[in-house]
Amino acid sequence: MSVLKVKDLVVEYSTVYGVLRAINHLSFEVGEAESVGVVGESGSGKSTLGLSVVRLLPPNARYAGGSIILDGQEVTRMSNSEARRIRGTTAFMIFQDPLNSLNPVKKVSTQLLEAVEMRCKKLGETYDVEKATREVVEKIRAVRIPDPELILERYPHQLSGGQIQRVIIAMALLMRPKLLIADEPTSALDVTIQAQVLKLMNDLKKEYGMSIMFITHDISVAYNISDRIMVMYAGELVELGSADGVIRSPMHPYAKALIASIPRGVMRDAPLEPIRGSPPNMIHPPSGCRFHPRCPFVMDVCRREEPREVGQDGRVVRCYLYG
Amino acid sequence: MQISTLIYLVRRVINAVVTLLLLIFLIFVLVHTIAPTPVALARIYCGSPHCPPAELQVIIQQYGLSLPLPVQFAHYVVNIFHGNFGTDTLYKVPELQVIGELLPITLELVITGLIFAVIIGLFTGSLAAANRNNPVDYTVKAVYLVTWSAPVFLVGFILQLFLAYELKLLPPSGLANPTLGNPSPVTGYPYLSVVPQPLQGWLSGLVRAITSPPLIAAAVDGDWRFFVSAVHHLVLPALAIAITSFGVVTRLTRASMIDALDRDYVKLSFMKGLSKNRVVYGTAFRNAVIPIITLIALLFGFSTAGAVVIEDIFQYHGMGYFTVQAIYNLDYIAILAITIIVGISVIAANLVADLLYGWADPRVRLE
Amino acid sequence: MGVKEIVKKFLGYRGTIPTATVVKEGRLSGYRFYLDYLIKDKVAAVALAIITLFTAWSVVEGTLQYVGYATRHRALGWALLPSNPIALNFAASLHPPSLSHFPVYIFGTNFSGESILSRLLYAAPKDALAAYLVVFSGIIIGMLVGTFAGYFGGWADEVLMRVTDAFLALPGLVLAIALSVLLGSGYNSVLISLILIWWPTYARFFRAQALSLKSRGFVEASKLSGQNSLMIILRHIFPNSVDPVIAYAALDFGNVILTYSTLAFLGIGIQPPYPEWGSMSSNGLPYFPQNWWWSIIPGLVIMTVVVCFTLIGDRMQDLIGGRLTY
Repeated sequence: MSVLKVKDLVVEYSTVYGVLRAINHLSFEVGEAESVGVVGESGSGKSTLGLSVVRLLPPNARYAGGSIILDGQEVTRMSNSEARRIRGTTAFMIFQDPLNSLNPVKKVSTQLLEAVEMRCKKLGETYDVEKATREVVEKIRAVRIPDPELILERYPHQLSGGQIQRVIIAMALLMRPKLLIADEPTSALDVTIQAQVLKLMNDLKKEYGMSIMFITHDISVAYNISDRIMVMYAGELVELGSADGVIRSPMHPYAKALIASIPRGVMRDAPLEPIRGSPPNMIHPPSGCRFHPRCPFVMDVCRREEPREVGQDGRVVRCYLYG
Repeated sequence: MQISTLIYLVRRVINAVVTLLLLIFLIFVLVHTIAPTPVALARIYCGSPHCPPAELQVIIQQYGLSLPLPVQFAHYVVNIFHGNFGTDTLYKVPELQVIGELLPITLELVITGLIFAVIIGLFTGSLAAANRNNPVDYTVKAVYLVTWSAPVFLVGFILQLFLAYELKLLPPSGLANPTLGNPSPVTGYPYLSVVPQPLQGWLSGLVRAITSPPLIAAAVDGDWRFFVSAVHHLVLPALAIAITSFGVVTRLTRASMIDALDRDYVKLSFMKGLSKNRVVYGTAFRNAVIPIITLIALLFGFSTAGAVVIEDIFQYHGMGYFTVQAIYNLDYIAILAITIIVGISVIAANLVADLLYGWADPRVRLE
Repeated sequence: MGVKEIVKKFLGYRGTIPTATVVKEGRLSGYRFYLDYLIKDKVAAVALAIITLFTAWSVVEGTLQYVGYATRHRALGWALLPSNPIALNFAASLHPPSLSHFPVYIFGTNFSGESILSRLLYAAPKDALAAYLVVFSGIIIGMLVGTFAGYFGGWADEVLMRVTDAFLALPGLVLAIALSVLLGSGYNSVLISLILIWWPTYARFFRAQALSLKSRGFVEASKLSGQNSLMIILRHIFPNSVDPVIAYAALDFGNVILTYSTLAFLGIGIQPPYPEWGSMSSNGLPYFPQNWWWSIIPGLVIMTVVVCFTLIGDRMQDLIGGRLTY
């Protein structure tokens, strides 16, 4: 039984330049206690995907097709109050820039207690300050922050980036979501801190049985934390499969290029292999396969018609090279 | 209170005092540049442009105008700190006394106007931010553009014309209905003896000052008829001041709210499940309002300037009205005294705003 | 839209399509670029037209007045006006606005029978001169003082900061009153005091620009290649500081006119019988509200001109991106 089931999703933004289709007929699933890495460059629609699952899309965006079934409930057609109920306790999203993620004028303790309070409201539990405080302290310990009492009394600007991300993960744990959506949570952190936070998330996933949808542009980070990887390009799924499968034997040319472009620091004169071309214009995307202008294996049919997804055994790829 | 907060407070106070001293120095320099010789200075202190030379000599002796400049400056500062601003040429009483009676009235007006301006500004700014780029936003922008550009006397006249004379909703002038007697001033404070002697003078002066403006005096005295009348007379002038100044508040609130609403912590609040109202008017607003505090100090200065004109139009006998008279009578001493006192008030307002800001934004006070 | 709708909208955070301004790529400079942009925006175009009219008229009328004064043919001053702005004509005293004798009585007359329209037109050059002179002087003085203080830093910078702090501590109007009265309450005194009050803001601004620019790459490069400070300032700092100031200055003309006319309202500046927009308004005070046109119409004219300046300044600030003030 999957925690998240996205089927044929279409999300569009109205901008002054025209309609921007950020997500184009996307389908994938996230199972229980599974982590899926969503990999793509800026503008590929990965952040939009995260926001659409929790109904936090900006006002000029709309669901133009398909469905998102989160824990058995259809998200796209929910009313605002229903959406409010599922947010946080069913799916919780954490964001990239830790400096802006917490309310600067309130203490950490206030913000975490508020999370507990809201959860109690949603799940019909009674809210008891002392019990909640104990829970908060426990979760702060769980995210490996020493001296929870000290951190609780601080204001966000007194914490380091890594600490803030941990606090937010603690907040997520307090809300006990079935699905944690993490939008580039480590991109703004130092590499060492990044590794710590990733390990933390991995451990927590095992301990709490939480599913994770990890959005990132860095495929090696995705490999680190994911069971399965989905590669997105220009708002579409181009490849999906187990982490090992996608990394070791990528099928889609874009996925291949992504992996090939990771600098191999081992040999000094190892060539850098960037992907040629530039990201597509999302308002007027290329005809046919959206990757075709940059694809080294481009064929005639690629220019004319959009390839459909083909796949078996959980491996999906959208490319004419495979059918 | 943490050490860093204390340091913040002390720094702000020192800053205010230094700025005040500099302000006095500036005025001193300007006055002495305009009137470089003792005779010219004496003409200013004389109070009328046509002073006989004999009297000028007396004044030079009396005020020590031929002493070296640093000495004069020292005397000047000492005088000011003792509250000695000279003797008013018209009323023949110490300036401080005249201003002391009139300043609270004007402060009441200005503060009321400020409160109105902030309320209107916050409301319209939030409205514009919540409705970005649709007709509501454009209307708000148009409104504040026009009101900001309107000279304060125009707003005063229009309000007076329509609301007072045409619609007869509110009285057109005066502090309160003249047929009602003034409320009795506050005298004799039961707890005053508790305070040590030298402070008593200051304290009683302060209390008298605070309780002298019409509204407060009436409230303290229990004279509700007067209170109501004073309120009626306060509305239009305060509104006039508010209308010309709310524009900046709107502008800043709108920009601030838009910025705050975009932040990740707002999204996080939604994640927790807070309702839209609570997030927008709680979290986002609370953060957006902080820059407005710095604006209040600016507005205070602006409103005080506007009060001069408004008190003239509405015959509202406060310090502004006194200023207009002083200009007409070329009462230089009064004008200088007013300038310094307004300077002190604005610096004090700045200090209050700084302290408020420190309270509101923990990032500033805890470094 | 009814009140309910407004309140509903107010309670619902619902933005709409952001109206992105398509700004040309590349260096934003040159008055041609501003002109282009402003003309395309209809509202700004109207404002620009009004300002141009105002300035053009002020130049023409101002020159006529000056020539008339210099050659003792004062009548030149009102040659272009519908009527003599300072001629007593009690027969037409306190005439309400009407279309008769167009356009003499379009704004009515005052107690002395002078046409308000003529007086407004006659007084216009003074306001224009005040606006342009004060702002330009403020910019020049502020530019010199601020840039040098910001670039060289040290105690000169400290002193400048303190001095401008003191100036800015007082509301402009109050200091303007004090200075003008002490200087003698005439037109020139007003101009001098306004200039004295206006430059600190620009000094502050240029100082901030100099501070931020002096650590930029191209300045460091200049220094390394041996360029002396004066040339660096002239070649790099000044040109890069100017753009945002222009946008703010456009706004500031309006501010000067507001302060200037408020001073005139209080009786400081040009003395009767010569007209001045602000003093006309206050002269009408004893005859208010029956003869409302005397007090209100000059105020409306001031408002119109200031709105146009503010609008244009606003648009220009949007264009440049970084706002100096809210």
